[in-house]
Amino acid sequence: MEYLGGAASDIYSFAVYRFFWIALAIFAFGSVYRIAKLVLRWRRVVKAEPRRRGVGTMIVGLIRTFLDPIIFSIKTKPYDFIAGMLALHLVGVIPLIFLLAQHVVFFAYWIPIYGVVAKWGLWIPLSMTTSTLEITAPIYPSSTSFTNTIWGPLVVILNGDVLAILAILAVAFKLGVKIIEQAHGLQHVRWSDYFSLGLLLFILLTGFMAARHHTFSAETMDVATYRTILGLHILAAEILLAITPFSKYWHLVFGYWYGKFHEWYDVRVQKGLT
Amino acid sequence: MPPEFQKVMQEAFARVDWQGFDKKKVEAAIAEALASLDSVKLHFVENCVGCAACAPACPYYVAGEEYGPVEKAEHVRHMYRKKATILGMLLGPLKNAKTPKKPEDLDKLVELVYRCTNCGACYLSCPFGIDSGALIKGVLSSIVTKAGRVPVLMSVFEMVERKKLFLHVPALMQMWDETLRKASEAIGRPLPFDKKDAEYYLFVNLADVMFYPGAVIGAIRILDRAGLDWALPSKPLAFRPPIAAVIGLSKLAKEEMEMVVGEIEKLNPKKVVVLDGGFVYPWMRWQVPKVLGRRPSFKVLHITELVAELLKQGKIKFKKTSDKVTWHDPCQLARRGGVTEEPMEVLRAVSSEFRPLPHHGAESYCCGGGGGIGCLSMKMIEMMAQIMGVPAQMFLSGEKERQFIEKTEQAWALAVRRKIDDIKKSGAEIVTTACPVCMHSIEGGAQLYGLKVKVMHIAEYIADKLE
Repeated sequence: MEYLGGAASDIYSFAVYRFFWIALAIFAFGSVYRIAKLVLRWRRVVKAEPRRRGVGTMIVGLIRTFLDPIIFSIKTKPYDFIAGMLALHLVGVIPLIFLLAQHVVFFAYWIPIYGVVAKWGLWIPLSMTTSTLEITAPIYPSSTSFTNTIWGPLVVILNGDVLAILAILAVAFKLGVKIIEQAHGLQHVRWSDYFSLGLLLFILLTGFMAARHHTFSAETMDVATYRTILGLHILAAEILLAITPFSKYWHLVFGYWYGKFHEWYDVRVQKGLT
Repeated sequence: MPPEFQKVMQEAFARVDWQGFDKKKVEAAIAEALASLDSVKLHFVENCVGCAACAPACPYYVAGEEYGPVEKAEHVRHMYRKKATILGMLLGPLKNAKTPKKPEDLDKLVELVYRCTNCGACYLSCPFGIDSGALIKGVLSSIVTKAGRVPVLMSVFEMVERKKLFLHVPALMQMWDETLRKASEAIGRPLPFDKKDAEYYLFVNLADVMFYPGAVIGAIRILDRAGLDWALPSKPLAFRPPIAAVIGLSKLAKEEMEMVVGEIEKLNPKKVVVLDGGFVYPWMRWQVPKVLGRRPSFKVLHITELVAELLKQGKIKFKKTSDKVTWHDPCQLARRGGVTEEPMEVLRAVSSEFRPLPHHGAESYCCGGGGGIGCLSMKMIEMMAQIMGVPAQMFLSGEKERQFIEKTEQAWALAVRRKIDDIKKSGAEIVTTACPVCMHSIEGGAQLYGLKVKVMHIAEYIADKLE
C-alpha cells in the first residue's frame, strides 16, 4: 500500500493497520484478566445493617468521595496537584487524548460515532492561531465541522500546543519527583513508574513533533520523516493501550472508578459518614 | 501471681521473638496473609499508583516520610508481587517484588506497623479509595506478629482477654466493683445486672472502668434518668475486645467476638450501647457480622447516638452551660464508624459555647495513639504491670523491645502535635471524646506542648449536666 509517499511496511502503516489490533487484543485480554482476578477473590460477606441518613446525604457523600481528595491535595501538596491533577489529567492529557482534532479524526476513522465530538464542536484545535488540520493528516476532514469549535476565546488555552506543553512539563515534574523520592530511599517508587511515565513523555514529545512538522521547511522535515515520527507516536500510544491493564494506567479504565464507588458505598452509604 | 497467669505469660512469651528470623514462620505468615486478600483488599494492593497524595493525611508522616501510608503499605505490595504475580516471581527486584529475608527486615516492618493508627485518614484522602490502614494493620501486622515481632504487653493482654484471666486479677476486679458500686449509689438503687430481655444493654468493659470510670457512672445515670429498660453485665466480658485485632490476629479476634456476642445474646437485649469509641465500636457495629457470618440478634449504638436519640424524644434534658467545650472525633467512631453528627448535637444541647475543632468529622486529625501505639510507652507498661502485680520488666522481652518502645514514644510526640494545635485554635478548655486511647494521647500531648485543657469522656461530661 502506497500512502502519501510512504511504504506499507513503514512504522506508520504498521502502527495504524497492524499493531492497533494487536494492542487492542492485549488490552482486552488484560482487562478481562484483571477483572477476573478481582471477581475470583470476591467473597460473600454478611454486612451490618446500614446507617440510614437519607438519599440527600448519600448524594452529598458521593460528591465528597470524589472531591475531598482533590481539595486535600490542593491544601497539602499544591505542586503535586498542579502537575498531577491539573496539567497531567484535567487540562493536559485527557483533553489532548480525547478532544485534539487530529485524534478526533483518527478515532472517528475507527469508530464513526466519535465524529459527534467534532459535530458538536467539542474538538480542540492544534494551536491558537490555526484550527486547520495539517495537510499531511492521513484523513481529511469530511466537512468544516472539524474546524468549528464551541470553545471561542478559550482556545487560547484549549489548544494542542498549550496542553501538550503543560502535559510534557507535568510528566517531567512527576519523573523528577520519582527520582527525588527514590534518592530519599522511599520504597513506593517502582521501576515501572519510570517506564510508564517515560512512555507517556515519549508519546507527548513525538506527538508534539509530528503536529509541529509544518514549522520546519521541506528540507528538514520530509514526508517520510513525518510519517516515521507520527508512526512512532501512534505505536507508542498503542503500546500504552496494550500495557494499560498491567500498569498504573489501569486506574483510568477501572481502578479509580471501582475504588471511589467502593469507598462511597463503604463509608458514606453503609456507615453513613457525613 | 496466680498459676493461670503464669501459664498465660509463658504462652504469650512463646510467640514473642524480637531477635531472630524464623524463615518458615515468616513464609507461612506471608502465605496466610496473602490468602486472606479478598477482592476489596486486592484493589488496595493492586491499584495504588504511588502518587503519595495520602502521605500528609497520616499523623506519623511528620515523624518521617518513610511513615507515609503509601510507603508502609508498599511492603505488602512487595510481598504480593513476589508471591502472587508471575512478573514478580520472574523479575524480583526489577518488579519491586521481595519478601523479608533477615531480622533487620522484620525490625523495619514492625516499626512501620506501629506508625499506623488505622485512623482511615489515608483512605478518605486517597484519590483511588485505597485503605492503606487495612493493609498495614490487617495484613502487615499479622505477618510481623506471627513472625514474633509483637510487644509483650499486647501479646499478654490479648491472652488475658481471650482466656478471661482478668477475672483473676484483684486490682482489675476491684476497679470494676468499685465503679459499679458508685454507679449504684449515684442512681440510688441496685444495678440491673444480667437482666434478660431488656431494651438496652450497656456494654461495659474493663478498659471502660479502668480509664474512665466517671463515664460508666455517667452512662448509667443517663439510662436511669431516661427511664429506660436496661441491663449491664455483672462481670466484665472482655478487657477491650478484640485486642487480637490490634496485633493482626484475625482468627483470634473472631474467637473473642464470638464469645462476647454469644454472652450478650444469652440475655437477649434489643440494643447494645457501647461506651468505647475506639476500635470496640466499629468491631461491634460493623465487623461482627462480617467475621461471624451473621448479624447479631441486637442492634449496636454508641452512647452518643443513644443520647442524641433520647434528646430528640425529649426523654432527657440538660442544663445549658457556657463551657468552652469541644469534641474530638475518635477515628474509629467517626471515619471508621460513621458517627460524627450525634456527639456535636449532644454537645450543642449542653453548652452554648460548644466549638467544633477546626478539623472535625471526616477531616478530624488523629491523636496518634491508636493501633496499639498508646500502649507502647514505658509509663503504660509500668502502670499495667502494677495492676497485674508483676514487675515491669516482665512486659518487655529485652533491650531491643525497650528501644523500639522509646522510639515509638518519640514518634508519637511528633504525631500528636497537630491535634494539640487544632485544640489550641478552638480555644476550648474542655475536650470531650469517647476513646481511652484518645484521652490518654490528648492528655499526654497537652502536657507535652503546654496546653491546659481538661480531657473527659463525653458520657461523664454530659451526665453532670442532666436536668
